Amino acid sequence: MRIAITGIGAISAIGRNCAETLQSLLDERSGIGAMRLLGSVHTDLPVGEVPLTDAELKHIAGVADSEPMPRTSLLGIIAAREALEQAGLNEKMVNGLAFISGTTVGGMDLTEQHWQDYALGKASENIRLHEAGESTNAIARQLSTLNFIATPSTACSSALNAIMLGANLLRTGQVKAALVGGAESLSKFHLNGFNTLMILDHAPCRPFDADRLGLNLGEGAGYLFIEPEEDAIARGATILGYIGGYANTCDAYHQTASSDNGEGALLAMSGALRMAGLQPSDIDYVNAHGTATPNNDLSESAALRRLFGSNLPAISSTKAFTGHTTSASGGLEAAICVLAMQRGFIPANLNWSTTAEGLITPVTHTLHQPLKHILCNAFGFGGNESSLIISNEGIDLSEAPLIDISKYRTVEISQDIDVSAYVSPAESRRMTPQTRRIVAAARRAMAESGIATPDAIVCATQWGCMLQSMRFLQDIIDSGEQQLKPTPFMQSTHNTVASTIAILTANHGYNTTYSQGKQSLDCALADIRTQMSLGLIQTAMVIEFDEQVDAWDAVLQHIGDSTQNIARVTIYTNRKQ
Amino acid sequence: MEQLIEQLKSQIIEALNFEDLTPADIETDAPLFGEGLGLDSIDALELIMLMDREYGIKLADPKEGKVIFRSVRTMAEFIQANRKK
Repeated sequence: MRIAITGIGAISAIGRNCAETLQSLLDERSGIGAMRLLGSVHTDLPVGEVPLTDAELKHIAGVADSEPMPRTSLLGIIAAREALEQAGLNEKMVNGLAFISGTTVGGMDLTEQHWQDYALGKASENIRLHEAGESTNAIARQLSTLNFIATPSTACSSALNAIMLGANLLRTGQVKAALVGGAESLSKFHLNGFNTLMILDHAPCRPFDADRLGLNLGEGAGYLFIEPEEDAIARGATILGYIGGYANTCDAYHQTASSDNGEGALLAMSGALRMAGLQPSDIDYVNAHGTATPNNDLSESAALRRLFGSNLPAISSTKAFTGHTTSASGGLEAAICVLAMQRGFIPANLNWSTTAEGLITPVTHTLHQPLKHILCNAFGFGGNESSLIISNEGIDLSEAPLIDISKYRTVEISQDIDVSAYVSPAESRRMTPQTRRIVAAARRAMAESGIATPDAIVCATQWGCMLQSMRFLQDIIDSGEQQLKPTPFMQSTHNTVASTIAILTANHGYNTTYSQGKQSLDCALADIRTQMSLGLIQTAMVIEFDEQVDAWDAVLQHIGDSTQNIARVTIYTNRKQ
Repeated sequence: MEQLIEQLKSQIIEALNFEDLTPADIETDAPLFGEGLGLDSIDALELIMLMDREYGIKLADPKEGKVIFRSVRTMAEFIQANRKK
């Protein structure tokens, strides 16, 4: 099957739509500047804000002023609708459409604003929107006909992982088309989080520069509308490009640092090339992850050098335009790659001036040239490495009917079990009690099944790593955003569990997390079943988890809900039992 | 100095969640990173935060920590010379 891209949508600091985004790129006009809307005390940190208030975004998105809506969802609606319109569809024309949208922040902005209200039983209509999956549902409700909704939440690689799942669903005939990408607003939560990691530059970021001091956070959304080429041709749609190949791997090195030799990134990029049947020399342009942190750019450069040798293609990071839009970045930058291919140019890597040993030298000014194959990288916390190839010619990807998969072994660990035999004190010092139980369950499942290195580690969670999230949020409020500890933040992302297990077991395989309310497990199973059908994986570890948290229960009681401890790990295989 | 070293060991154990260690388990001159306690980049950030919170010392560049955090003794010496509280 050839997977055609027939629509793109983008919103970020450099444009409310694709046309504005393209113009900013061609004009080399960055959207990074002083903070106007976020309301953090750290106004000395430049950001890439979408220069519109929530009320203005609601107006554009066609959402009533009175309707509670995370900013992430508002950005998502605007970009998703643009992609659908460009594909020549109104929502009602689509049957069998998947909507897969990555996010990690979800409705955290509302939770920050209303935390005091929640305690008093006020503003309760916003509470459920905290959940990453619910912020996606809020977008989907505006788009009406959707058959499959999923929210991958792997921090900064979320949107590329969404695109991969969408492509896999098409290749197994489960959906007719898919709207895929991600959305993420700025939040005080992750601005402070990145600040504790001391990786935010107080000046505009300088990807791949010798003197780079870190990233600037941005916000936005980006989506691709993808469908089989023959369907696109049959309905007379304009084909903007093709999905060439893709891969997700785990660096399995550290929760917040990339390995010196870029092992995970190399595996992701070479995996994408292998799927596409392309050689490194076929790549005309790499849209790098290029966050401008000292660690990322050095590690990504090492991986690029290992893959391309001395024949490096043109490389640039567009994050000096948009800021790092975290979970949205893969979708936004994939849309930018399609614009670059359509128009025939390589976007500039702004603010670069000096080279240093080990770093690649990026393209510093817009280069006009035709592009055939583009590689787009997005790397997330825990070494979650994703690469996507976008091509201007159809690339045949294998198809397969959906097969049945088998449960091989399930291990569930309840609260009263001592897990110290499975997790050493040194390993577990940053883990919450519930994370320790989950890790113990995973280790037991691997030992009892004899599958020490499953091809995929996939988590399903409603709320994510809620204890550390609530700790960090409370610290932000109590301290007035001062003297915060980095550990709760680096342990707060939904994919913390999947990456922790990959790091402990040196597993470089596929690694992801779905947060889709009560449907989270269904999403995880759909993912691994689809990949097993396509022969991409043979074994998978599915981890269902949630964490009982008093502070969040005190809020949830106002909507008659509560959190609970879940630590259930199941090994699946493609073999009949 | 000895009193500061002992206090610092307790603070390190608490800040880095070494539940199974006591101050006596940490050697004053042993390396904190690599071998010894085997700390990593996040621990370095926690130690920077510890110095800010407890002693009023602010580091702008995390790379400065490399020299300061060689051992508990080097850390204590740096705190002694630079503390604001």
